[in-house]
Amino acid sequence: MDRRTFIKDSVITGAALAGAAASAGFFERARPTTEAVAGTVRDVPLRPPGALVEEAYVQRCTRCMRCIDACPNQALLPLDATFGKQLEGTPAMKPRRQACMLCAKIDGDFLKCGEACPTGAIVKIRKDEATVLSEVRIGIARIDHELCYSYNNWSCGACIRACPFEGKAMTAGMWERPEVHEEFCIGCGLCERACIRYPQAIRVVAGKVSAEIGGRE
Amino acid sequence: MTRNQKKHVLIQVLRHCCQLLVLAVMVGTVYLSLYAHYHAARALEDEQFTRGFQGKVLLAIDDVIAPMDNPQPLLDSFKGTLWSLRFAGFDLTDPLAAAEVIAGSKTFYAPLLISIVLPVLLALVLGRVYCSWMCPAGLLFELSDKIRRVLPFAEIKPGQVKFSHGNKYVFLATGLAFTAVVGLPVLGHIYPPAVMSRLAHGLIYGTAIAGTITILVVMMAFEIAVSPRWWCRTMCPGGALFGLLGWIRPVRIRLDAKRCTGCRDCEVVCPMGLDPVKQSYGIECDNCALCLKSCGEDALIYAIGLPGRKRAYIRQRPAPRVSLLHKVGDSIRKRRRPIASITAVIVLLAANATAYAHHILGLPHYSYKENYPQVPTLEYPASTGPYDIVMTSYPGVPTPGEAANVAFYIRNRETDVPFGSPVTVRVLQTATFGRNKTILHETRIEPLDKTHKLSVTFPEDGEFIVELTVDVEGQPEVIPFLMVAGQPTATTSILAAIGGGLVVFIITIRAIKIKARRRRLIGQSANEQLAGRAPVTA
Repeated sequence: MDRRTFIKDSVITGAALAGAAASAGFFERARPTTEAVAGTVRDVPLRPPGALVEEAYVQRCTRCMRCIDACPNQALLPLDATFGKQLEGTPAMKPRRQACMLCAKIDGDFLKCGEACPTGAIVKIRKDEATVLSEVRIGIARIDHELCYSYNNWSCGACIRACPFEGKAMTAGMWERPEVHEEFCIGCGLCERACIRYPQAIRVVAGKVSAEIGGRE
Repeated sequence: MTRNQKKHVLIQVLRHCCQLLVLAVMVGTVYLSLYAHYHAARALEDEQFTRGFQGKVLLAIDDVIAPMDNPQPLLDSFKGTLWSLRFAGFDLTDPLAAAEVIAGSKTFYAPLLISIVLPVLLALVLGRVYCSWMCPAGLLFELSDKIRRVLPFAEIKPGQVKFSHGNKYVFLATGLAFTAVVGLPVLGHIYPPAVMSRLAHGLIYGTAIAGTITILVVMMAFEIAVSPRWWCRTMCPGGALFGLLGWIRPVRIRLDAKRCTGCRDCEVVCPMGLDPVKQSYGIECDNCALCLKSCGEDALIYAIGLPGRKRAYIRQRPAPRVSLLHKVGDSIRKRRRPIASITAVIVLLAANATAYAHHILGLPHYSYKENYPQVPTLEYPASTGPYDIVMTSYPGVPTPGEAANVAFYIRNRETDVPFGSPVTVRVLQTATFGRNKTILHETRIEPLDKTHKLSVTFPEDGEFIVELTVDVEGQPEVIPFLMVAGQPTATTSILAAIGGGLVVFIITIRAIKIKARRRRLIGQSANEQLAGRAPVTA
């Protein structure tokens, strides 16, 4: 191989690798994952139930779209560029559009997305209540007390009715004021979907809310 | 045409059928998945969800599936893209995807390994057949090769830059090493079948497809202008992996040296740029059998045999007989354009950047198309100074002529106190050419229930900018939010139409010029002949 050929081949291979890395968002500045605040911007996307912690999840996810196809509620969609190119195309959930109903009333013993995932980025989770409560941590619901009708001289309670673990994850206080109990809240987002306020007064947040939330080890 | 040649033509027909079948599976799986969602949501009963082409397809699927007693198992057995597919209940994963996941996560996941068994077995027995018989991108690149062959008729000489076939193994190794070190899968982002499959999925689901079209177009353009079949021959990491797996494959193309006349017709047709006389049993060959078809002497054959046998039947190569096809190939080859490759790389990087910039603000507008089974809402986050801002709109895609409720929620990040002073909002309609048209002049909005609410009626289909002006510590800060009303014609499609028209125009002009010049030349030579023959007078 002469020098000319070597240089030409190195340049084109390097360019292809650079192109691939650029498409994967490698050259993009990493987005700071600050603590998300309820009622404002969500800094970390909400992942499917049973997803690994964000870092491991991104390494494993091949963007094959199988969980997106499998979700009976069409709650999962490939992420757009909002959270940066590195996460683009990975499945995520926007509860305001559609929330996770934990495959209720669907045949099968496992949550469909974990069952569909070929790489183990989403862990297969059995559908009984105890397993779901202990294994699933999509995020945690946070109430914006400034916006919530029940905290502002009205009474609503829509989110409490929507909660699949009503009485555990969410209880009603005086004037139907919702109260979230973090140890039981799995972050399915059904409360966020049900909220009648625009912009919504209750929101599921993930990320560094606390060490073990926003995915599982 | 001999009987053998008829057989070879049939093989090619079969090969293209196989490619089209894979393409159909790629698109059909997505439609079936979408149908499954609609079926579950009973959305097909609602007329508004079954409009347009997509609605017709979904209704056609419904005609087949609705009479079934329990269609769910059938619907569950077709999911995913070609990168990882559930096909008829079987899990199939591209070995490259598996390699990348293993490199990235450094763990072995049993279901993943099971799902690559079938593709790996196929590659072990048949070699790189995925490239020639199945890959939908292969179909695309064969098309670009066809375009290359048409170009000389417009007197455009496509480049013939040659790169080493070994590049793809280097690319595969460095790509996997990169993934292992950085923990970020990269190869899947530009691996054409995966990109194409994701594109199909995105188009049918109406989700973001940023970058995918760019990658495919740049690759095709590079192949047309610079280097024929560049990706498949020299760059594809998947092809490299399948080639390596096919190292010991028993099914190979072999040469009957007694019959070979050395015409080199097979070398011209080989899509992988190989010399089938010498190299067809190597790992580069994808068993596409085009060389079999090209051989007028039936010297090349599919043969099944154990690997490792010496190819004793290749004796001395007879003196080459130069064919017409080969002459054309040679004439194209004479011009080389190294600058073109560099330009193409720059375009690849730049184009990717622009495609990305298109999707900065929240969900792209086509994510909110009306035939979702859900009510679309719009939500754009922003921030300025100490404030976090969320703009919401209901409906997400306003209907022209009907009022849309736009609300801004501005709140101090540190103190959690909502913004209590009035803000100013104005609405502009974006114009592709010229200045933006003002729809709503600057309006002062008082806070109501801790948010700033505004009712806007968009006059027509189009893209609009809702411009919010907030007073941040005495300084007015302007924050634009992009909104889409109705279904506007995308600026890009207008530009594409203009560009396409321009190309057709240039080619036509060129063709006319060429024709005129030829006529002139013919006329000249005729005149010269006449002049030569004319008797000298006086």
